[in-house]
Amino acid sequence: MNAQRVGLIGLIAVLALLPLALSDFWTFIAIEILAFALYAISFNLLMGYGGMLSFGHAAFFGVGAYAGGLLAKSAGVGSMWGFALVMPMAMAVAALFAAAIGFFSVRRSGIYFAMLTFAFQMLLYTVALKAIGLTGGDDGLTGLRPPGALAAPGPYYYFALAWVLPAIYVIHRLVRSPFGLTLRAMRNNPLRVEYSGVDVRNHQLITFVIAGAFAGLAGALFAFSSGNVFPGWLNWTASATPIVMAVLGGVQSFLGPALGAAVYVILEVTISGSTEYWHLFMGLVILLLVLMMPRGLAGLIDRKRP
Amino acid sequence: MTNPVVLARQTLAGLSNGMLLFLISAGLTLIFGVLRVLNFAHGALFMIGAFLAWTIGTWAGGSSIGFFASLLVAVLVLAIVGGVIEVTLLRRIYRAPHEFQLLLTFALVFITGDVVKLIWGREDKSTPMPELLAGATEAMGLVFPTYRLFLIAAGLVVAGLLWWLLHRTRWGILIRAATNDRDMLGALGTDTRRLFTTVFSLGVALAGLGGALAAPIVSVGPGLHVQVIIDAFVVVVIGGMGSVLGALVASLLVGIVNAWGVLLLPGWSVVLTFACMAVVLIVRPWGLFGSQE
Repeated sequence: MNAQRVGLIGLIAVLALLPLALSDFWTFIAIEILAFALYAISFNLLMGYGGMLSFGHAAFFGVGAYAGGLLAKSAGVGSMWGFALVMPMAMAVAALFAAAIGFFSVRRSGIYFAMLTFAFQMLLYTVALKAIGLTGGDDGLTGLRPPGALAAPGPYYYFALAWVLPAIYVIHRLVRSPFGLTLRAMRNNPLRVEYSGVDVRNHQLITFVIAGAFAGLAGALFAFSSGNVFPGWLNWTASATPIVMAVLGGVQSFLGPALGAAVYVILEVTISGSTEYWHLFMGLVILLLVLMMPRGLAGLIDRKRP
Repeated sequence: MTNPVVLARQTLAGLSNGMLLFLISAGLTLIFGVLRVLNFAHGALFMIGAFLAWTIGTWAGGSSIGFFASLLVAVLVLAIVGGVIEVTLLRRIYRAPHEFQLLLTFALVFITGDVVKLIWGREDKSTPMPELLAGATEAMGLVFPTYRLFLIAAGLVVAGLLWWLLHRTRWGILIRAATNDRDMLGALGTDTRRLFTTVFSLGVALAGLGGALAAPIVSVGPGLHVQVIIDAFVVVVIGGMGSVLGALVASLLVGIVNAWGVLLLPGWSVVLTFACMAVVLIVRPWGLFGSQE
């Protein structure tokens, strides 16, 4: 057994035992970290592995959250199994939106792709604000609660963990699969991959849909923890979050974005509690990060790798 | 269909909004063309221009001299701010991956947003209309707000000046050359560092001018930059990145579509703008006036 595997088993054991050591408040924060870790990793599937810099990933996080919330509300989900079904359905809805947005967006690459995803996300943001009958407009969806025993933070933590760990595992398998290798080859030299007979756009679209679906799962999981969904979840600041998390953690390591998510959420909780100028502080942190730490926290930990 | 008088007024409003949009997107597209950096902070810098115009306009009590002075101050202050940002921050990350450039300009949005709140507070403000341009003007048997006509004229003047700058001065030739192939320009001995600084400064100054011109017809508040930057992005996607002419045509198109959309689909006009963008992307993915990469 190599050191990496031991570390991984240790990490899973810590995650499994975590709620026993934490207060309800910090369990709630831990759920947020789980959801955002999945969100950041799904984003890094696009950016780190696919070379597709999406500045609209929040669209799918938000769509998943709204879809999950609306499904549970309209169906009046009461049982645990019914509730468990809400998650794959939210993923499916997010995947549909990703397919539609991706269809247009993968026509361009690089910074153009970022602008397109950004613009479509802002369109959805506007819809969330204006379709008051469906989304509740500015007030959002409120009073979302998982059924029965899951409503307590501890049990809901395990519910979230049971979704997040397999999801991350699936993404990990994906990036190691021939599909993932093709994806990385496309990132480095799309023209060459195209010439060897791969439909690059199609590959990118599929990746975009997969990443969108997992972002939707993260959104739906977080929605039932926070109890609300707001249009702000689809706003552009929300799309910068996974980029900051991924860069903070390190885009070159698979779990780097998850580490970035944990640090980001804990920073946000501690700083926003003490100042109303959280954005100013975060802006300065991002500046320092960009100018001083190009390889993120994972780069500080593991200096050997290129 | 709607009443022709309403339609004419909306068209004029659309054209004048389109001209404001042109000032912002021209700067955005010039900066992108030369520096290859997408400046997310462009809307936030526009907002600073609007706040400066509010401060000076309120202090001068709506006098025309105060208004024109505020335009000048906004342009000069933002030109300096742009130069400082380029020299101290942007210059360090030209070779970094796209996400670093995006995050850097995004950090500037966060910082500017809070600094604006610290200086000017959180409330929306209204800027007095300059006396000279406050009334209404009769044209073609219809009455139009004078300020809207002034905005269209101002936009045309700036468009003309930009054309002259880009096609009749040495600096402009360098800008166009850099948009085509900046490595080659550098290899031929041009000081591209200075060119980058001046172009960023020019682009930001245009955003400042746009903000100052917009101040009398918008509510000046810390949320002002959001819609502005989205519209500007849609404009550069439709017009083609790096093309000032494309920015002009697409700005007017988006301005008019928005204005007519208010009549056709009240509350949902933004959907029409996005529909335009989608059509352009399908037919000409590189934009109306952009060059195919």
